[in-house]
Amino acid sequence: MYRLRRWGPGLLLISPTLIILAIFVYGFLARNIQVSLSNWRGLTARYDYVGFDYYTRLFQDTRFTQDVKNLTVFTLIFVFGALIFGFCLALLLERGVRAEGLFRGIFLFPMAISFIATAVVWRWLMSNATGSQETGLNKLFKSMGLGFLANDWFKTDSVWAMGAVALAAGWALVGYIMALFLAGMRGVSDDLREAARVDGANEVRVFWYVVRPMLWPVVMAAIVILAHISLKTFDLIYAMDPKSRKIETPALYMWFTTFDGFFFSRGAAIATLLVLGIAVVIVPYIWYTMRLERRK
Amino acid sequence: MTTTELPTTDLPTTELPATGSLRILSRWSPYVTTGRYVVLFALVCVFLIPVYVLLVTAFKDPSQVSPSRMWQLPDSLSLDTFRTVWPKLNHGLRNSLLMAVPAALISSLLGAANGFVLSKWRFPGDDIVFPLILFGMFIPYQAILIPMRQLLTEWHLIGGLNGLILVHIIYGLPITTLIFRSYFAGISDELIDASQVDGAGMLRTFAYVALPIAIPAFAVSVIWQFTSAWNDFLFGLVITNPSSAPVTVALNNVAGGQVVPYHEAMASALVASIPTLLVYILMGRFFMRGLMAGALKG
Amino acid sequence: MASDERERAPAPAATAAATQLDPSAIEAPAAETAELGEGPEPAGIRLENITKRFKGGIEAVKDVTLAVEPGEFMVLVGPSGCGKSTLLRIMAGLEEVSAGRVYLGDKDVTTQLPQHRDIAMVFQSYALYPRMTVRRNMGFGLRMRRTPKAERQRRVAEVAGILGLEHLLSRRPGALSGGQRQRVAMGRAIVREPRVFLMDEPLSNLDAKLRVSMRAQLSLLHQRLGVTTVYVTHDQVEAMTLGQRVAVLRDGLLQQVDTPQVLFKRPVNLFVAAFIGSPSMNFVHAKIADQAVTFADVKIPLPAESPVAGQDRDVILGIRPTAFALASGGGSWVLHAVPEVVEELGDERYVIFDIDAPRVDTDATRAAIDARSTDDALLLPEDRARFTVRLPTETRVAVGEPFSLTVNPDRLYFFDLETGATLG
Repeated sequence: MYRLRRWGPGLLLISPTLIILAIFVYGFLARNIQVSLSNWRGLTARYDYVGFDYYTRLFQDTRFTQDVKNLTVFTLIFVFGALIFGFCLALLLERGVRAEGLFRGIFLFPMAISFIATAVVWRWLMSNATGSQETGLNKLFKSMGLGFLANDWFKTDSVWAMGAVALAAGWALVGYIMALFLAGMRGVSDDLREAARVDGANEVRVFWYVVRPMLWPVVMAAIVILAHISLKTFDLIYAMDPKSRKIETPALYMWFTTFDGFFFSRGAAIATLLVLGIAVVIVPYIWYTMRLERRK
Repeated sequence: MTTTELPTTDLPTTELPATGSLRILSRWSPYVTTGRYVVLFALVCVFLIPVYVLLVTAFKDPSQVSPSRMWQLPDSLSLDTFRTVWPKLNHGLRNSLLMAVPAALISSLLGAANGFVLSKWRFPGDDIVFPLILFGMFIPYQAILIPMRQLLTEWHLIGGLNGLILVHIIYGLPITTLIFRSYFAGISDELIDASQVDGAGMLRTFAYVALPIAIPAFAVSVIWQFTSAWNDFLFGLVITNPSSAPVTVALNNVAGGQVVPYHEAMASALVASIPTLLVYILMGRFFMRGLMAGALKG
Repeated sequence: MASDERERAPAPAATAAATQLDPSAIEAPAAETAELGEGPEPAGIRLENITKRFKGGIEAVKDVTLAVEPGEFMVLVGPSGCGKSTLLRIMAGLEEVSAGRVYLGDKDVTTQLPQHRDIAMVFQSYALYPRMTVRRNMGFGLRMRRTPKAERQRRVAEVAGILGLEHLLSRRPGALSGGQRQRVAMGRAIVREPRVFLMDEPLSNLDAKLRVSMRAQLSLLHQRLGVTTVYVTHDQVEAMTLGQRVAVLRDGLLQQVDTPQVLFKRPVNLFVAAFIGSPSMNFVHAKIADQAVTFADVKIPLPAESPVAGQDRDVILGIRPTAFALASGGGSWVLHAVPEVVEELGDERYVIFDIDAPRVDTDATRAAIDARSTDDALLLPEDRARFTVRLPTETRVAVGEPFSLTVNPDRLYFFDLETGATLG
């Protein structure tokens, strides 16, 4: 009873949030799963149990499998692109440049705007119109003599259409990754680098042997964050070219099939798969971060 | 925890002093440095291409806007496009403002309470509770969209702004909790001890001691939540009616059709982004801390 | 802190004035004393069989029973990790006990939360509320206990007067120097007029000179206010100068509770003997036989009343640096040595030398100097002990010049080799 008096009030204060999240996160997730295991098509909700029908059907659905392929291409290009460029930017800024704040501010600003705005601008840039309507990057390339770079961007007939979307997404996120790497690089104490330098290592070696190994946690964090954003990406694609199957991903499919087609159960199944995909990356990451914290 | 007299109230940032900027290491140094600036400058130019296009087009006289003249600077600056676009967006702007500000404030306040409890007034099992809260930050909204729609319809909150505000408060709780928890963890425990010895229980310690100290964290939390709520699209699309649609939805309506008046699209994108850009420019430091917190690195 | 430097930079007189309590307010006539002293009756604190176990099984406090008399100034002292701060926190209610009971006056407060106990505490880091002015910091406790505003303001003004804080009342802690913050922390506690003061190393963040002057003022304050005070420190000098009684702790166990004089003259075991007294007591392995104690090439005859007379055993011998005198003759009881280091302190002189006898290096002696491992101990080969003796300045000693010392046989201490307990 005495112990309860000690920590009881705290628990009480946090309980509204706990209740809210229990309902709106975990309760809803559970309800979503329930819907996915039901046979709800049309406007009236139905909860008759049909097992994993919708899941198995999804894997036979060519639209879905294509979407997954698209998503994979998108994730790979997006994640690695942002990682590499973010890393390079951090490398360039790490030693300290004049007006570093300005550079950082420039590369980070896309994080402050909505994906819709990003999509609106990039859609024009990546236009594949020809002839007198030719515009966007294609036109820029041609006028610079780089005509061979012109292509159909996100209207390409192959799975590489996602690459164009990945370009826009990468542009938006690269600053964030740069900031993460900068924080990681600067977290390496100068003493360590000094010791290496005194021992005779040149700058490249100092970086490779001293700084680089300390960056793995940052790389991990960056991959986890980028991957989970990638799976969630909806706004960007929706604003760029909503009805195009070439750049559709499961997130988009869920939307259309649920709110246009009223196939709620199928939509719920897709959504559940999305959660699982994200959980696979996020849960270990959270667990790892908590363990690190406990050690401290 | 250090025994300095005052609690350090800063979240970790990347604003560390530049390292080794004056070292002359080899005869390549000057070339490397110039090279770096050149590369950086080039990258900035490439990076800002979308910004260039947006500004150039939005401020062009509508008669001069055409696909072929996209890359050319305007002959004269004109605000005509903005005048055309404003009536299409101003309801959205108002809605977004009415939605994002309360959502940011309320979820920050709740987050402050949670963060305080989780770091300074612990209870058994709180190290399981916190990851459970954190997970809520990462779930895709698609996974709760269907039940959410159902519940809000039942509660007659569909269509208006209130439902949207509620949603953003709820799904903002994990990140605001995280921000405050990190912040309070950096405050000396002795401060809470002193408060108890002085006669304050949990609630009064929170109100009189913890909250006044947490103002920097409030800045981070409110700014981050404001930006987050303002830039959301999916919830706006699902929950609101056209009359209460946020600006992101309005923007998509203006600029998302297949036949796009480019100048209107660009101007709309700019107008819709100005509030968050302003916040970003003026309060960039706090924005950064929110970013770092979201990566569980803050 | 910039304000720290600003306060210390001006002339010493100004500094002294800025950091002194107002002496006239302390040595006040009886009439004035009546106001602040009109607090509740001072209460004693009683700890009975207190044990505190932390997560992971560490026992920070092991079955400690301690009674602090009403109005007493009790110091808890010991090396870091000995459990003194934990005990203080248990008295405050900030830590739960794993076993045992805590009494405040006659009341069992073991399960009472800190906010309901009538105690005030001064923390090592002062823990001042950063966003409140000094005035509000000091008044916070009274506010929480719903003291009427007028009364609150009166008390704050009064205590601010005693501590010399009147001109700082509207400042925030960030604008104060270390010494000023320390006084605000004290003021916050005094204003509450509690039945007990608890102080957790309140002086350790101050620089040396400030610490010494604040020590005296703490004593004055205690004399005037008469409140029961429990004071924690790791510095045995502070303990000895401040405490009416001192409780020595080691590894969660209470070693001895006595007045400083008794602790110094009659330590109950090796640890207490080594811990109390600066410079530390000299130790060496010795043998008792034939009514005499032998070490190195010295054989000191033991008086008949000596507790170990007639025994035949190996012991640890302890001799305080002040128990030596220059010898003017020979004899088997004279210690011949060659000074290695001579430390001049103005009116006294410390001479340090090695003797050809095994050094004492036990857990107790190491713990007493807060050493963590054998490496921290003296950098000496194991078969030589290092002695420090205090001699008056007139004595002629120089490094490298051999000299002779006698020891007062009444001032020898003998410790059991295994238990470390004082023999006799």
